[in-house]
Formats: sequence, C-alpha cells, structure tokens
Amino acid sequence: MDETSRRGDLDALFRPRSIAVIGASSNPGKIGHEILRNIIEYGYGGEIYPVNPKHDSVLGLKCYPTVLDVPGDVDMGVVAIPAAYVPQVVDQLGAKGAKVAVVISSGFSEVGEVELEERLLRAAGKWGMRVLGPNIFGVAYTPGRLNATFGPRDVLPGSIAFITQSGALGIALMGWTITEGIGLSALVSVGNKSDVDDDDLLGWLSRDPETRVILIYMEGVKEGREFLEAASAASREKPIVVIKAGRSERGVKAASSHTGSLAGSDRVYDAVFRQSGVLRAYSVEQAFDWAMAFASGRVPRGDRTVIVTNGGGAGVLATDAAEMCGLRLIDPPPDLAAEFRRYMPPFGSAKNPVDLTGQASAREFEGAVAAALSHDSVDNVLVLYCETAVTDPEEIAAAVARAAGESDKPVAAMMMGGERSVRAMRLLRSRGVPAYPTPERTAESLCALVRYRELRDRGSAGV
Amino acid sequence: MKPGADLIRRALREGRKVLLEPEAKELVSLYGIDVTRVAVARSEDEAVRLAGEIGYPVVLKIVSPDVLHKSDVGGVAVGLECEDEVREAYRRILSNVRSRVPSARVEGILVQEFAPKGVEVIIGLMRDPQFGPTVMFGLGGIFVEIFKDVSFRIAPLRDLDAEEMMREIRSFPLLTGYRGAEPVDLEALKSALIRVGQVGLDHPEVSEMDLNPVMAYPKGLKVVDARVILSPSGGEAR
Repeated sequence: MDETSRRGDLDALFRPRSIAVIGASSNPGKIGHEILRNIIEYGYGGEIYPVNPKHDSVLGLKCYPTVLDVPGDVDMGVVAIPAAYVPQVVDQLGAKGAKVAVVISSGFSEVGEVELEERLLRAAGKWGMRVLGPNIFGVAYTPGRLNATFGPRDVLPGSIAFITQSGALGIALMGWTITEGIGLSALVSVGNKSDVDDDDLLGWLSRDPETRVILIYMEGVKEGREFLEAASAASREKPIVVIKAGRSERGVKAASSHTGSLAGSDRVYDAVFRQSGVLRAYSVEQAFDWAMAFASGRVPRGDRTVIVTNGGGAGVLATDAAEMCGLRLIDPPPDLAAEFRRYMPPFGSAKNPVDLTGQASAREFEGAVAAALSHDSVDNVLVLYCETAVTDPEEIAAAVARAAGESDKPVAAMMMGGERSVRAMRLLRSRGVPAYPTPERTAESLCALVRYRELRDRGSAGV
Repeated sequence: MKPGADLIRRALREGRKVLLEPEAKELVSLYGIDVTRVAVARSEDEAVRLAGEIGYPVVLKIVSPDVLHKSDVGGVAVGLECEDEVREAYRRILSNVRSRVPSARVEGILVQEFAPKGVEVIIGLMRDPQFGPTVMFGLGGIFVEIFKDVSFRIAPLRDLDAEEMMREIRSFPLLTGYRGAEPVDLEALKSALIRVGQVGLDHPEVSEMDLNPVMAYPKGLKVVDARVILSPSGGEAR
C-alpha cells in the first residue's frame, strides 16, 4: 500500500461517518456498554449501530445480530468481544466496507497469543482495512465529538493530541486532564500497535489543523526507522513531546566493542529524539506542562523574557529555573522600566524580575503584563502570582488573560495558593494561557517553547 | 559492489568474527577516512624494510585473530626510531605473545606509521535492534572510560546531526582550543562521522566498529587503531 492511501484511511479513525459497536451491551459496567454510551452521550453526530446477537436494542438504539445485518454503511467498527472471535468479526467488518477496526479486546500478543493477532491482521489486510489496537481503551477526537473509549466521558476540547501505549495510564490521565482543565483534540490508545503505529498517527495528526501539539507516551517503538522519519517530518509541522518509559533494560548485553557497551537502548532513544526534533519529557507532569504551553499556539520570536511577579521569592525561583533552561532575562530598557513603575508602589522593583509587590491587584498585573508584551525588547512574559488575602486570584487571572489576548507573544502564568488560585489557574487555561502552580514548572514550560522554536529553525536550516 | 565488501566476505568465509587490523583500516580508508599507513611483516627483515618505506618513527603491533587487546599482552611497541629498535621490538613482541597467549595464531607483525599526538577521539558504530546502524562519538581515554561522555546518532547522519553530536558531549571545548591549544579540524571529524554511518548502512555484516583512538589535528585526522566486529547473520536488521 502506498503512503497516501494509508494516510487517507486514518480519516475514518478520527472522523468516521458511521460507527458499529460490536459487543454492545445493555449491562452497565461492561466495556461494550460504556463505549457505546460514551459515543452517544459525548454527542457523536453520525450513525451508530450496536451489534450483539443477544439484544434487540441497546441504550435506545436498534441492535443487529452481526455487522453484516446493519442496513447502512459502516465506516468504523469498534470491537469489544472475546479475543477468539475477533478475527471473524474483523473479516465481517472488512466485507461490510469498514475502513478501520478499533479492536478494544485483550488477549493477543501481549499475553503471547501472537498467532491470533496475526490472524486478526490477515483478516483486516484482506480488505485493506486499518486496525487500531488490539488491547486498547479506544479513540477520541473532540472536534468530531467522538469519544469511542471506555474512559471518562467529558473530555475537554482543546488542541493537544495524546497518543498512549499504556491503557491504564491513559485512562487515568484522561480523567486527570478533565479535572486539570486541559483540553485535548485527540486521544488514541495504541496498545499492541499491530497495525496503526506512532508513525501513522504522527503523519495524520501533524496535518490536522485542530491539533497544535502531539504528546506521546511510549514504552518503545515497533518500527524504529519509520518512527525516526515520521517524527522528523512531523516535528517540522508542530511540536512533539515524548515521554518514554523503560530507561534501563538491555544495553550492555554481549557487546564486544566500546561502542556497543556504551550504547544502552535509552541513550539511543535519546539520540533518536534529538535527531528527529522531538522534545523528551522526563515525567508525565512535565509532558503535560509543556503540551499545555504548546497548546496556546504561540511561537516565541526569541528567548528574551520578562518576569512579572507580586512576590520576591517566587521571582527568584523562577529566575533560577529560567536561566538553568536557557531563557534570557533582559534588563528592561528605560522606557519600559518607566512604564512598569506606573504599576507598582515606590518600593517595587522595575528590574527583572519585575516586582509589583504583594499589594498588586488586577489593574497592576494587567498594566505591567501588557506593557511588557507590547515592547519590542521582550519575546516572552512569565507571570507569577502568589495568593494574598487582599487580592482576588480569579480577578487577576482574568486580567492576565486579557493582557495576553492583546498580543501573540507567549505568556505563561503561575497561580500559587489555595482553592481560589486553583480556580484562577483553570480560568487561565480555559482562555488559552498555560498556567501552573509553581514557578519552576512555569519557567520550564516557557523554555520548552523556546527550545522547540530553535529545533524547528535548525531543522529547516540543516536539511 | 560496496567498498570493502570483498574483504568482509573473505573474513566471514574464513570463519572470522573480527577483521584483522590492516583489513579494518583498509575498510575505513576505502570510505575516505585517513588511517595511519600499515603493512604486515612476516619476518624481522621485512619489518625493517617496511619501516624504511613508511618512514620513521614507526609502531609495531601483533597481528593475531586471537589477541583482541594487543597492549595487554605486550603486543605493541611505539616510537621506534631506527632499524635496531625495530628488530629488538619485533623479537620482544613475538616472545611476549608466545609466553602470554601460547595458543595464539600469529599472522605477522604490523608496521605502522607513527601518528603524532593530537586530541584523541573515539568514533564508533553499533547496530541498534530497533533503529539500525548508530554512530557514536566521544573523546578518548578517561572521557569515554570513566565519564561515558559520548553521543549517538542514527545513520544516515546529516551534516547537522554530525555537528550536533560533537557539540553535545561535555568535553567538546577540548576540541575547540582549550588553554591556547589549536582547535581541531571539526569538518574532518564531521565527515568521518557521516562516513562511518555509511559503512554501517552499506555493510549489514558489520555489527560493531571502534575507531579508537582517532587523532584529531588542526588539519585533518588520523585513525590510529580500528576494530571491526562482524556478524554473519547480519542483514536481517538492515
């Protein structure tokens, strides 16, 4: 199959025109029930066909004994039945003209049933149908109101595409993004990667206008060189953040040269990521922190940064973190410093970090942030707010969001404090301003933006 | 046919998993990477004649498929300035190897051009099961042995990859003129890295390779020792 036709086929994975759920069930708690309910309740607009010989209707929809009995076309088949029956059902899906089978079922190569997985692949291959999985929790694509997963229902729309090799971790993080107020464009559980792999998804998502950043949790890649090529191409289009688990393993086995003994697999992965322009995060938290910064869609013009704070301590911590990761803190030129002084008491500081002092309210934050953003000597602004009894975090968040909205330069904000600050953080995120609870995480996320820009420019200059 | 394919095939046919040093150097020089000139002497007189041709000073080394770490068994003599020193070293190496590795098959003694001191670097090649031929770069000696200060890139290397993998190691400043030393020829190093990657792409049978040390000079470089490990089953993982 050539590359373009394969890519075209993935359209059905994200924007299916109709979906059959094989193994749909009336029993709450069953996977075939939860997936169907998510598809219906999340607001999917196409035709939905439950398939299960044991039911006449499920969740108010007419149920068909086999997919071949479905009256209309089936674009995507979601398969949640015992593994042994999967190859046969996949064959039927192919016969029905489905473009993609989303195989939820477990019990394949992950437990040593390699032959069964090969049968599944042959059944799909016969019809030129793509397979996601098996051994997955599903796929979601918020611009198409698609949530074909057995994870939480109310995925927040956004522009982060999240690809995960781990099921349990993926579902947990899905719920976590909702409470954190982090929006997703796509969520893909890749499981055994029997067919659809990271490189296929990178190809499709890098061209998806709804996706601004691709975040991958991986334990390993299946086709190394294909990944390298796909990631190199995709990273020129948009940032890719990878969190790679399993940093030890293999490595030194039976190497008879210096080179062999020094090359642990993790060092090679490190090289692959650098070479392909992928940003490697070292924790789940960091990966989502960075992704959230990229989701703002803002690209820094450079590394010149101003910190605006209401507390000295947070300012110093952010300064340390910023300089450690390569942000440049500029000395504000006299005209900008004069502008800053308008928004602080006489004992404030117009140097960088700009200290508005603890009494700074929404007006002072808005004025100082706007002044920094509109000045030519500044590429990025880091805003730090420490909650005080005399100020309202949500008002300040709204003011910062307003100032950020007037500019296309990157802004990252810290809202540190109690419940009110958590709400303020969510408010900022909902308005497209990445917000974090600590100075370090704020600074490092801004750094990720600057690093991506350097990587991207390097790539286009060097190829 | 890819450069050096014949000598690799010959070694495999003879059941060898390691190229002899002269073969390894020939393979590398076929890819346009400078190596110290070498020739194998089968007798003391021949060693003297070859030393005259190569030019003094010279280095003598044992050539044996059974000796991997030549200096550990007294199989190397460096900085030989004249005929007498060559003769004495030839006899000494043979007797060292015979007493320490009595079973070793000795194919001769290598007479090698003496490379002046430069910045010692190591360039390596290994085959990752996922990603295929992978090139390694680092500074020789303690930087590799103790600090493991090395970087990797997957072949084929672009110019940019070679450049970045050099800059990535912490000891990089030692290449750019530390304490008044002259900076080394980074372009020559870069092109050697790219070419080593090409060896890996061209020859699936080469499973590992160490060019160690490579002397990096203000102008050019010289591979002083080369080790090439073969795997007859190569080719399956490209």
